[in-house]
Amino acid sequence: MKNKRSFYWLMSLMLMLTLFLAACNSDANGDSGDGEDTDTEDTTEDTGSEGDSGEEASGEPQEGGTLNYAIDGEPEGILNVHYYGTATDFEIIQFAVDPLFEYDENLAIQPNVADWSTEDNKVYTFTFEEGIKWHNGDELTVEDWKFALETLASPDYEGPRYANVETIEGAKAYRDGEADSISGIEVISDYEIKITFDKARVNNLLNVWSYPMNRSYWEGVEVADILDSEKTRQSMMGTGPFKLTKVVPGESYQFEANEDYWKGAPKLDKVIVKVIDNKAVIGALENGDVDMVPVHPTLGEQVENMENVDLVTYPGLAYYYVGFKFGKFDNEKKEVVEQNDKYANLELRKAMYHAINRDEWIDAFFSGYGSKVNAPVPTAHWIAADQDELNDYAYDPEKAKSLLDEAGYKDVNDDGFREDPNGEEFVINFAHYSSTNPTFESRAKALTQYWEEVGLKAELEMIESSLYYDKLEKDAEGIEVYFGGWGTGSDPDPSALWKSDQLWNYTRWVNEESDQLLEDAIDIDVVGTDQEKRKEVYGEWQKLLNEQLPMLYIAELQEIYGVNKRVGGVEFDVSGSNSPHEWYIQN
Amino acid sequence: MLKYTLRRLLGMIPMLLLISIVVFFLALAMPGDPFSGEIDPNNTDPEYIEEMREKLGYNDPIHVQYYDWITGFVQGDFGKSVKYKIPVSDLVAQRLPNTLFLGIMSLVITYCFAFAMGMTAGRKPYTKLDHFIGGFNYMMLAIPSYIAGVFAIYFFSFQLGWFPFNGSVNIAVDEGTLDWWLSKVYHTFLPALVLGAMGTASYTQFLRNDIIDNSNKDFVRTARAKGTPESRIYNHHILRNSVIPLITFLGFDLVSLVNGALITETIFTYPGLGQLFLTSVQASDYPTLMTLTLMFSFIVLVGNLIADILYGIVDPRIRID
Repeated sequence: MKNKRSFYWLMSLMLMLTLFLAACNSDANGDSGDGEDTDTEDTTEDTGSEGDSGEEASGEPQEGGTLNYAIDGEPEGILNVHYYGTATDFEIIQFAVDPLFEYDENLAIQPNVADWSTEDNKVYTFTFEEGIKWHNGDELTVEDWKFALETLASPDYEGPRYANVETIEGAKAYRDGEADSISGIEVISDYEIKITFDKARVNNLLNVWSYPMNRSYWEGVEVADILDSEKTRQSMMGTGPFKLTKVVPGESYQFEANEDYWKGAPKLDKVIVKVIDNKAVIGALENGDVDMVPVHPTLGEQVENMENVDLVTYPGLAYYYVGFKFGKFDNEKKEVVEQNDKYANLELRKAMYHAINRDEWIDAFFSGYGSKVNAPVPTAHWIAADQDELNDYAYDPEKAKSLLDEAGYKDVNDDGFREDPNGEEFVINFAHYSSTNPTFESRAKALTQYWEEVGLKAELEMIESSLYYDKLEKDAEGIEVYFGGWGTGSDPDPSALWKSDQLWNYTRWVNEESDQLLEDAIDIDVVGTDQEKRKEVYGEWQKLLNEQLPMLYIAELQEIYGVNKRVGGVEFDVSGSNSPHEWYIQN
Repeated sequence: MLKYTLRRLLGMIPMLLLISIVVFFLALAMPGDPFSGEIDPNNTDPEYIEEMREKLGYNDPIHVQYYDWITGFVQGDFGKSVKYKIPVSDLVAQRLPNTLFLGIMSLVITYCFAFAMGMTAGRKPYTKLDHFIGGFNYMMLAIPSYIAGVFAIYFFSFQLGWFPFNGSVNIAVDEGTLDWWLSKVYHTFLPALVLGAMGTASYTQFLRNDIIDNSNKDFVRTARAKGTPESRIYNHHILRNSVIPLITFLGFDLVSLVNGALITETIFTYPGLGQLFLTSVQASDYPTLMTLTLMFSFIVLVGNLIADILYGIVDPRIRID
């Protein structure tokens, strides 16, 4: 009897706990469910175009204060802009460094620390701003840049950036040990330097490494030892708005204002970068423990509903697509050696495109923080073609069905699914990468269901993400149609992903016109130094890809930040945020 | 005893070798390698990735890779982490203090809880309180740590604001000062509580059963007959005898001290060995993964050995020679 009673007591306690938790949950859900369709879109557009966070609510910018900035992934701890490998590390580094050039809201390159002039896109003369001080008080001169370029070109350099100096004349000889210096670098004065590239290109400037490296800081450290050095792990030397003053590895990083910053002393006293688990993002924002943090689209609505936090969105540079495998690539010969004709029929691909309801899909899996794209270039990029000139393959299952009928994909054996024109069974084998994220499988499943609705049988295979791109690269058996994503950088040249002799052209799509256009777009003899002309060529290229559909372009995503309302002066555009020295805390 | 200990220690060598082979081959059998996720046209190019693969020997046959690794390992060269790009020994040295701190604190918490609950339950067996303690313990045992961690953060950090939810120390405090230590304790307390409270079940129930056992023994009856106060009987006579079997847990505690807590450390972004182990698996960081695995295995074996030896000391019947 006694036993039983205490058991009931325990049960009721647990029940109460459960109810309490459930109540907490449903509350949050109810809120976010209300304005899903209308609110999301409105706010997205508003914040997207203005991109600032509540400046109108504030009075004058305040001096002082500490900003808590969070990153939701674990950094590798390489606090050296010349060596870092992951974007997470750069989120820390960005506070202390200042690049020679910067990018505007269309991702066009602009002078920052250095200005440049060139006659022929081969020889460039760079002029540095005078009087810029390193954090240790040294003055920034062109020698520091030369030092950086030589370090990257050194045979002992262990970082991933050799490609950013490779195009300088004589860099290769220097790396192979045939020369003591890089012949293409000529120092004119402390503030002037002439760089000669190996040939004239339109993207020489975009490609060249644009961060200087302090000579006295690295004195006595061999290039081979830089990566392991305490100076890379525990401290940082830059010319940026904040100085790194303390490091707790893998956990937090403390920056203090660089009062001598050449664009003006920062308004904040301190920035603390914290590493937090992505499960804690919502709570930390709501509690005010962090002021700024990148937010995953699926959490966007929750952040939007917080009273103390602004959700800031800006156009991202990544796009998702569904690709087709048209052949197999031989990496030795650098060419596509086998053809796969299963998806060669353009009408079939068009029908598959029309079958997908992209808007619904983006709303469902990215809470609407994205929009559809019709070519493999994010619309915010300056090379993006005029969207009116591209076909929009809108959701139209009837059209998809009639296209399939015309192309001969008909259901001849009455199993409810279409057979191919020869009457054989036709199954779309669709591959998607898997991870611990549960939405991946459902979003992939959603795509296969769209195809099944127009009568195309589709089977989904989820592949472990670490294996996925390896399989794509090797054209593994069984991958025919696949889901993928690419990011675009400030250099718009997509050759590495699209030319027929490239390993990362995963679709193995070979098209001479496309290859030619891509070559033209970076050929100085064709486009000269005229940005407009270049944009035109890329526009042609996008139109071609929009008609030929080697892949079905699905969506581009927005970048989302949660920013506490007490933070002001933060602006975002497609190139990222403005310089943190303009950020401030308001009361 | 000495012979026994030596024999056991020597017996560890083939065991560790076997573990290293199994783990190494399993690790390499995992899909992909450290570079398979690195495809990013803005940041790198296929040539660099191929170059790095060649340099790190990922293109060699698997037995050659194992030989290269094991020869380095026995000479004390644990290799260089592929992800963090510093020697693994440095990485472990960096993380170990945090893990030890968390481990010790959670053990202290476990002991406090377990002793309090075990003694209460043992003293009043089959009462409401005893059943509640039993139920509570089994519930804690049954809750997975990732759930407990998230809930602890939700309640104690976000709702009540009592404890921080991440990190091991407040960066603004100067190292080595009293404030710094206090900040460390403050940051470590919540994960330690989650870990500690969840490990109480075995201690509590062991202690409870021993106390119940002992309370029926002759010496207790004698003590009672002499008129010794009840509290003294329990806290002195019985407790002493009941604690002895718990000593054997010490060996296993050593293991949990160093192994870190994979999930809990990750949820609390507490930079310790557990978190390191998890990321090294995710990133296929073979050198780190192998070093940690072998280190953990070694400590498990040593922990078992210590448990056995302690057992022998406590209970001479078990001594083997």
